[in-house]
Amino acid sequence: MTEPIGLSINLPVNRVMRALMHEHDVAIWRSASGRLSAWNNRCPHRGMRLSHGFVRGEALACLYHGWHYDAEGKCRYIPAHPELTPPDTIEVKSYSIEESSGILWLTTSGKAEPLALPDNLQPVRSITFDCHADAVVKSMSVSTLAGTDGDPLRIVPISQKPHALSLETANGEASVFILLQQCAGQTAAHILADNNWSADGLVEISRWSEETRRIAEKAVGELAAAEQGVE
Amino acid sequence: MMSGLERAKQDWYPVEMVGGLASGETRDTRLLGIDITLSADDDGKVSVTAGDTPWPTMVAYDHIWTSPSSDPRPLFEIPEAEEKDRRFVPCGVVRVKCSPLRAVENFLDIAHFPFVHTDILGAEPHTEVEPYDVNIDESKDEVIATKVKFFQPQAAKSAGDGIITDYVYRVPAPMVSILYKTCPPKPDAQDVIALFVQPLDEETCDVWPWMALYDYESTMADMIHFQQMIFLQDRSILENQMPRRLPLDPRKEIPTRADMTSIAYRRWLKRNGAVYGALTEVR
Amino acid sequence: MSFTLYDYVLSGNCYKIRLFAALLGIDYDSVAVDFHPGREHKSDEFLRRFPAGTLPILVADNLVITETPAMLAWMAAKFDASAKWMPWNEPTAVATTMQWLGFSSRLTSTVGEARLHSMLNRDIDVDKAMSGAVRALRELEAHLTEQSIRGHTWIAGDAPTIADIACFPYTALSPDAGIEHDTYPAIRNWLYAVRSLDQFITMPGIHALHELRGGETDHGQKTSAESRADA
Repeated sequence: MTEPIGLSINLPVNRVMRALMHEHDVAIWRSASGRLSAWNNRCPHRGMRLSHGFVRGEALACLYHGWHYDAEGKCRYIPAHPELTPPDTIEVKSYSIEESSGILWLTTSGKAEPLALPDNLQPVRSITFDCHADAVVKSMSVSTLAGTDGDPLRIVPISQKPHALSLETANGEASVFILLQQCAGQTAAHILADNNWSADGLVEISRWSEETRRIAEKAVGELAAAEQGVE
Repeated sequence: MMSGLERAKQDWYPVEMVGGLASGETRDTRLLGIDITLSADDDGKVSVTAGDTPWPTMVAYDHIWTSPSSDPRPLFEIPEAEEKDRRFVPCGVVRVKCSPLRAVENFLDIAHFPFVHTDILGAEPHTEVEPYDVNIDESKDEVIATKVKFFQPQAAKSAGDGIITDYVYRVPAPMVSILYKTCPPKPDAQDVIALFVQPLDEETCDVWPWMALYDYESTMADMIHFQQMIFLQDRSILENQMPRRLPLDPRKEIPTRADMTSIAYRRWLKRNGAVYGALTEVR
Repeated sequence: MSFTLYDYVLSGNCYKIRLFAALLGIDYDSVAVDFHPGREHKSDEFLRRFPAGTLPILVADNLVITETPAMLAWMAAKFDASAKWMPWNEPTAVATTMQWLGFSSRLTSTVGEARLHSMLNRDIDVDKAMSGAVRALRELEAHLTEQSIRGHTWIAGDAPTIADIACFPYTALSPDAGIEHDTYPAIRNWLYAVRSLDQFITMPGIHALHELRGGETDHGQKTSAESRADA
């Protein structure tokens, strides 16, 4: 299944990041020319996480010994042996990653299939909650956030897999999109808003997401404490 | 064949520096997954107990060593520790979330110098590792790598400009590594730097670096800082190697010619059944 | 020499002074203090001269400074004629900079403490330090998110200030304490910006930006040409 793992703006060219997707640890990087790659986060040489590596042009190099891998995940250069052409067998496993509506979409099996979203969106932020996605959704309240025209918003589910919802205005237009990605005990929310939102409005949405996190983590903490009390 | 743990229990391990505990002080720590308590008596002499069981202790190379065995294998020799004109520098403990064997293997590696110890022990474009010799010294049952050479911008606290540094590496016990390297102020002698590893368990270790140097210029603090700078650069690598345990199956991690010492070390561990902290094919 | 720094190589606070001196391009004398294992900063001899018993200590003629925000402010006043690093004549910028200089001490007492524990076995209240560290990093993440929404890269506006210097080390070093940066994208972008500054220097736990050093050749070149052809 395809999951949203981050906002495009948080992976500029020449940068590498890490995404956790269920049991998979994934290094994601963008080359100098803008090409995206997603790989098993482990250098085949000595097991170092490639997400700590560095981008050189169209190659990602491991931080430990500088082994360079091209966009196909094949090792092309071993600095300890500059004259050596590395055998084709030295290779990192790649996954399918796609970029759509400012979101990075990853799958660890088959081809990534992004959820279709409108074109007129701008990124707000990604925020991680120390709780299950259900607790995040349950804690969302739009009482403290109004739409761009001051109208109240309501929460509308869009999709379960991937887990997506929107905040709609009274006239039924989706104004904010929230894409949830759950991994182990954490949930990341990747938030987009339509282009009508001003910078001040985007800041309001960011603060609203912080408030949602306070409520959700408090509720989960209280639940855990209550369960401990029963035992 | 005995288990990796049983094999590991027969060796000595460092658990404290000489003088690290004040008289009357105690400290809880762990060795091979066993909780132990160190206590210093009124004279500062340290004893070790696991529950009610006293363990043997010995003092060597400025550290207190202990073993779960009542009859451990003899501790390895560092003859240079008898050379009184050297300065002996115990560098204190650093905890690392990695297999004790990964900590030793990293210490044997030179190819990472330009990327991890940038502008100190190595720098691009001087990344090439020339062929060197690796053997098992059967008389001592230890791994030994000789004729290792590498270009270093600042090889030691006492080094000025970049030099080609010569190295010899010894692995006299599974969780100990000793290197001998060019000593900038005294070209006919070699500095000694050792890594003594205390395995807390198979995936966590306390590392006690120790040096025996010909450096009469630097303060003790200068020398300790230099060693801690180098080792803490390694620590962030060691905590990001996956799996945490050292894989002994050569198909799990691909070596090159520059990794000959590491290849010999892994084979030697396997041959000796010294697999505490390792991933073996069976598991 | 301009001043003398009593220094410990693994201290994030000492690194603030080393880093700022490097960015300003000024020379100074340094005295290595055996913080670990020797606890030299608690020795009678050291305490007699410096009763604070802390590191770093900056001495310039008769001036002895023991708090890093004060050291950074003094260095800015003395060596930065352009007032770029501390905008003395702009009240709002002064307030914001001072605000985050104050905040930086919370990073020291949370991330810094947790790091001393996980790295040097220092006996502390680990749970308290870790939860405090997460709270502090979330606060910084929220602020940097808002800065980025408003088009600013740095903590106090359009240019780096001593607030960035003060908050950088322990934020960058949080992985030493087991707190990764994966869930803090705004912090990641800001750390990268600091590391990209001219004359930036590293410390153990903060690696050089090898991507900026440039390799001998671009070992992904072939793939690059292919991808351009595709486009």
